[in-house]
Amino acid sequence: MRLITLIKIGWRNIWRNKKRSLVVILSIILGLYGGLIISSLMITLNSQRMNTAINTYLADIQIHNKEFSKEYSLSDTISNIHYLEEKLKNDNRVKSYSKRTVINGMLSNSTGSYGVNVLGIDPEFEIKVTNVYTKIIEGDYFESKRENTMVVGKKLADKLDLRLRSKVVITFQDVNGDITSLLFRIEGIFKSGNSMFDDYNVFVKNNSIFSNLPDLNGYHEIPILTINDDVTESLKLDLQKINNTLDVKFWGDIAVELAYANKMMSSFLYIFMLIVLSGLSFGIINTMLMAILERKKEIGMLMSIGMSKNYIFLMICLETVFLSLVAIPFSVLITYITIDYFSVSGIDLSIVGSGLENFGIGTILYLKLPSEYYFNLSLLVILISFISSMFPAIRALKINPAEATKSI
Amino acid sequence: MIETKELKKTYKQGSLKVKAVDNVNLKISDGEFTAIVGPSGSGKTTLLNCIGGLDNPTSGKVIIDGELISSYSSNQMIKFRLNNIGFVFQSYNLIPVLTAKENIEMVMLMQGYNKKDMEKRSSDLLNEVGMGDMSKRRPSELSGGQQQRVAVARSLASKPKFILADEPTANLDSKSTAKLLDIMSRLNKQEKITFVFSTHDQRVIDRARRVVTLEDGKIIKDIKK
Repeated sequence: MRLITLIKIGWRNIWRNKKRSLVVILSIILGLYGGLIISSLMITLNSQRMNTAINTYLADIQIHNKEFSKEYSLSDTISNIHYLEEKLKNDNRVKSYSKRTVINGMLSNSTGSYGVNVLGIDPEFEIKVTNVYTKIIEGDYFESKRENTMVVGKKLADKLDLRLRSKVVITFQDVNGDITSLLFRIEGIFKSGNSMFDDYNVFVKNNSIFSNLPDLNGYHEIPILTINDDVTESLKLDLQKINNTLDVKFWGDIAVELAYANKMMSSFLYIFMLIVLSGLSFGIINTMLMAILERKKEIGMLMSIGMSKNYIFLMICLETVFLSLVAIPFSVLITYITIDYFSVSGIDLSIVGSGLENFGIGTILYLKLPSEYYFNLSLLVILISFISSMFPAIRALKINPAEATKSI
Repeated sequence: MIETKELKKTYKQGSLKVKAVDNVNLKISDGEFTAIVGPSGSGKTTLLNCIGGLDNPTSGKVIIDGELISSYSSNQMIKFRLNNIGFVFQSYNLIPVLTAKENIEMVMLMQGYNKKDMEKRSSDLLNEVGMGDMSKRRPSELSGGQQQRVAVARSLASKPKFILADEPTANLDSKSTAKLLDIMSRLNKQEKITFVFSTHDQRVIDRARRVVTLEDGKIIKDIKK
């Protein structure tokens, strides 16, 4: 028997009871649509969280002195930095880089004290690597000609009641191990979209650091942006070869939890979809069982006239798979339209904005969904439909043709 | 030739054992036009089911052209039915989603006919039963008599050794019954196709050339006209 005949019978059979088939098709459409949109939301949330971290601080690659990575001692600066800079300038995989001094200290004012990470930067280089300058909500990003100015996060500013031009004192252990205090004025307040980052990190100019700490003779951190993700790994390996005192790290090695969440995301989504679609499969099984009970006589007749069990099994499976094949294009289409729309206009989640910011996610979500998800989840639906068809198909094989036809 | 030897079929109804077919010995030669008659519950249908391999006998043998089909496995039996037996059902049992022509072709597709031969044969068969101009109609667009004629054409499609028909005229009016019997009678005489009916329709009994009467699962009369 030709497969085309079975396909023809299967296809026509699903339209015998249009209302029932349409209910199943609609449930598959909504199930897949829901799954794809939730996948898109999760991927967008995750990537926004990742991008916020990369864009505000991490960059693609960071270089430190190996010792600095262990102890965070101010004296452990990056050696031979001029040679390194020369390499970075001449490497076409490097989009931009910056140089930072990093000091762990205590920030105090009349309201209280708080442990912070002071990032000394050269603003003209830093703006090519990170985007904190675009997140300023009050004041400026180092436009003042004054020395010893500081840009702080909104959350820290709220905690210590900091305002523009407020005075703060940073206390830390200097290169010689002596406790040193430096006075700064608040020049700007930023809100990066990650409240944890805003709570802990403050920016000052490298000049301010070097003029106050003459014994500090170098930088602690070089953040690098690459031209694209594909070259990051090779650049990291090449930079590592330059000098064995360097600790060259991919952003995922620094923010391990972010990289891990990113890796886990797709597995989690597929498991989630499997659970959603498993629920859907019960609806499919129920519908197909009803269809088979209705057509018991017909199936009995087919067995009587010599249709093999394999063909009957295949016919039932095909009918079930057809239901999903009808539903999938509609699901994919409406998902594509939805995601396309919200990729531009965004979904405003400001109502839960503070909660999202705690996780480093902005309040506007610009949906996106990689094309492989459309393909893989559609395949998953077909697979689930096929598995769902097994039970009704096995049930059909148990039909006794003599009883089913009630006569010969 | 169809032959049954000491054929028995017993059903359980609760704790009771019902002998639907009781020690039936029957020989039906090629080219016969035989009616198996009897009151309801006499075992007509069960006997045909056992002959057609749709039901397994409790004991005894069913031998067709020397082959002991009562010992066949389920899959062997399906294959045997496809190539050797044509069925005509009381309620036609055509596939509602296929046209008259496609219903006939389906059997040939199962047998592996090529498209050209299949189309020619299905057209010939439809013409044979007087349904040539309705080949593209679906069962819902045909009357009961027309559907049964398509069912007869379908039963012939596989070139079977014999055709088993269970009360084929039970749902038909007298005009359709006469037409159907004319067709089957002609096929029997011209094509030498063996027909075995179960029926209690006097019009069929009148046209049959052999009448086997069953009562309580036993043959009580076997008259050759």
